[in-house]
Amino acid sequence: MIIEAIIINGLMLGAIYSLLALGFTLIYGVSGVVNMAHGSLFMLAAYVFFVFTFQFPIGIFWASIVAVLATGIFGSILYRLLINPIINDEVAVLVVTVCAALILEQAVILQFGSYRKAVPSFVAGYVEILGVKVTYSMILAFIASLILFLILGIFLSKSKVGRAMRAVSQDREAAMLIGINTERLCMMTMAISAAIASIAGILITASKTGIAYPDMWQHPLYLSFAIVILGGLGSIKGTPIGAFIIAYAELAFMYLVPGAMSLAGAVVMAVMVLVLLIRPKGLFGKRIEME
Amino acid sequence: MVKRYFRAAYLSFLVHVVDIPPRFFAFLIFIIFLLFPITGPPESILLMMIIANLMAIYGASWDLLVGRTGQISLGHALFFGIGAYATALLYVYLNLQPWATIFIAALIGFVIALLIGFPCLRVKGPYLALVTMAFPLIMTGVVYYFKDITGGERGIYGIPRLFPFLNYNQQRFAEYYFTLILMLISSIIIYKIANSKTGIVFLSILDDELASKACGINVTKYKIMAFAISGLFASLAGAVNAHILSSASAASFTLTISFMPVIITIFGGIGTIYGPISAAYVLQILDRYLLYKVINVSTEWRTIIYVVIVIVLILKWPRGIARTAVDKLKDLEEARPVEVVYKKMKKKEESSGGSIHAPS
Amino acid sequence: MHLLEVEDLTKSFGGLIAVKNVNFNVDEREIIGIIGPNGAGKTTLFNLITGYLKPDSGKIRFNGEEITGLPPYKIANKGLARTFQIVRPFRHLPTIANIMVALNSPRGKKRIEWVKTPERKAMEMLEDVGLSEMMLEPAENLSHGDLKRLEIARAMALEPQIVLLDEPFGGLSPVETEYMVKSIQRMHLDGHTIVIVEHKLHALMKLVKRVIVMHYGEKIAEGSPEEIAKNDKVIEVYLGKVA
Repeated sequence: MIIEAIIINGLMLGAIYSLLALGFTLIYGVSGVVNMAHGSLFMLAAYVFFVFTFQFPIGIFWASIVAVLATGIFGSILYRLLINPIINDEVAVLVVTVCAALILEQAVILQFGSYRKAVPSFVAGYVEILGVKVTYSMILAFIASLILFLILGIFLSKSKVGRAMRAVSQDREAAMLIGINTERLCMMTMAISAAIASIAGILITASKTGIAYPDMWQHPLYLSFAIVILGGLGSIKGTPIGAFIIAYAELAFMYLVPGAMSLAGAVVMAVMVLVLLIRPKGLFGKRIEME
Repeated sequence: MVKRYFRAAYLSFLVHVVDIPPRFFAFLIFIIFLLFPITGPPESILLMMIIANLMAIYGASWDLLVGRTGQISLGHALFFGIGAYATALLYVYLNLQPWATIFIAALIGFVIALLIGFPCLRVKGPYLALVTMAFPLIMTGVVYYFKDITGGERGIYGIPRLFPFLNYNQQRFAEYYFTLILMLISSIIIYKIANSKTGIVFLSILDDELASKACGINVTKYKIMAFAISGLFASLAGAVNAHILSSASAASFTLTISFMPVIITIFGGIGTIYGPISAAYVLQILDRYLLYKVINVSTEWRTIIYVVIVIVLILKWPRGIARTAVDKLKDLEEARPVEVVYKKMKKKEESSGGSIHAPS
Repeated sequence: MHLLEVEDLTKSFGGLIAVKNVNFNVDEREIIGIIGPNGAGKTTLFNLITGYLKPDSGKIRFNGEEITGLPPYKIANKGLARTFQIVRPFRHLPTIANIMVALNSPRGKKRIEWVKTPERKAMEMLEDVGLSEMMLEPAENLSHGDLKRLEIARAMALEPQIVLLDEPFGGLSPVETEYMVKSIQRMHLDGHTIVIVEHKLHALMKLVKRVIVMHYGEKIAEGSPEEIAKNDKVIEVYLGKVA
């Protein structure tokens, strides 16, 4: 019973996590930015979704659209104002994006209070697969993630912008020499990354957790970098693999070790630390460190 | 940065117009710190200054690591929390008294820093930052899981205060002087390390690791050394803090606690050591007194204000955080490591008539 | 036994072979030069010898001891020092402190007098290269020529047995180049073994007794400066590029 639960839930979770981590690795690959506010974008989307399904209900579909757009715009502004000016200093970018995340958290507390807010699910009802209760929302989320991931994959390999992104992530200077406007591309990447994070945010809150709370930005952030580091920085292929491994590790831990809810997050981080120390490249990473 | 200009301007005013040498000015401040409790301030103000003393140690410890070797730690709460829990657990299980446990806790922090520094400091910049962020999280999970030992989400309560034999009114008084002395000793130690020969090596690592290696320096060893010293003082601050608040909880492992020394150091001037120390006081007074008592600003807005100022300060630095470190050294009126050296040599030259050239 | 033995050294990056089966030896008190067009692999060779890169195959021996794959600081402490092609001073430290960093290495601490008064030793090194007036200046205020001299003084502060100089004449004016030539000659007279990678051939040929020529990662010729100047292969490689 537990094993099936782990397997089925792991599939769902892994798919959504892939999406989340993809956004993170995309912005890192293209602009070298480790965006500590990635989880905040996730959170922002969840809250906007909440606002437009509860406070000003315009239907789940439109609420999602608004949430994605709002997050995308916010991400672009964040990049333009705060990240771009200091993009050469990795450490400064880290600190500044953490600052942005903190500001957003405080803003959320000011606006919505620090208690959890219930977020409606997409579709009511559930089905039993292999003896495990699977809500229609989760199935929807799963399918949506897969489709989106596929679309993004095609976008990256076939479209002009996508190919430009891959070029810049491989060799920034060479890309500039070919005439790619890296700065504009980075802005675009950021917008896409934010949009992806927002979609993941809506999918997870609406289909799985059902709640939004002010420090919900931390877990997705830590997940994102654990996944990306495990899968290999800069590797699109490694991301879903890393995502499923992490998803299953998290679930296995939660189901099999009783009362270890809080430890699950710690386990994810411990995995990340181990990977960084033993094999910093991750499974399929491309970055080479000179030292 | 505004603080820096203020301070420089004021110092300048004192030195040139009023004709007070900088050393005397520092001495004046010290006297004020020493005597102010006698004026009978309310307990909340005393408490504020006590916390400020500890934050000064905490901030200075971070600055030594990040400002002098350039190794960024975004998880310094790890040591703060370890200090708190170590001293609490030593009391609960071994019934040791605070006077012993706070220093044992500092040592534990030192050892932990050595242990995790060894593998972690082999990775650079952003990776190191991520790894350091992970540890307080892992500790939070551990603390919640082993709740029978650590008190779980509630934490450990009823830890003895430092001076239980005094009556209630005198306790904060005594705690203030204790933390003040602790702060002075810690600051002097950290400052001396930062401006010693070891400190020169630290700066060389900050400037150019590859060149430092070419000079025969085992860069990783020095990074671990800085990390360990930093961890020791951060744990000390956390341990004393637990006794001041009479409790230890997982709140010590939060990102907010990790970010405090970042704010303090960036405010005060990264790499200067005395900058974060001063800023700790300014920020505590600003936070606890001005924005809380005088104008009642909510916690959230206060956090936003500080964080926004941090962002503004960072954006104003084209050279980046780590590099600005040593720039601040140029503004010092105090002795730089080499000026001390030069003074020594001049003395020797005068006494032995040696052949050392003096720069024009 | 030679002081430095490089045996069958090979290093490639991705598909590009930077250094291929390079063999050469350096004996004590020799002063030799390594030349070759840009991209010949000279700096990669230096990085391999000094531990900044690990070779794919091959061995490096120093004083009979194998040092292949050792980290750079260990190699420096054994007495093999280097300078960098693009100067790497400790920009914010005062000039004298730049030297003092080297004096804080295990090798630097071996001399007790240095441990007690490293400033004295550091001053001597600065005097040797004529930088004593800039003693307290932050290194970033120094001119390019001064920085080149500082780079050498810092390497020499380790009192190495052998020094690898990577383009010591790069960006120097004719006057500065002359000064540098004299400095290097003095270093050689003091008993140090020197290996120089350089492009400015006329300065180099005056200094060295033996020349190794590299091209596309391979050693294509070795001999005295006169022999090399007449070598057909070398002339072909440098056609039109003689300094």
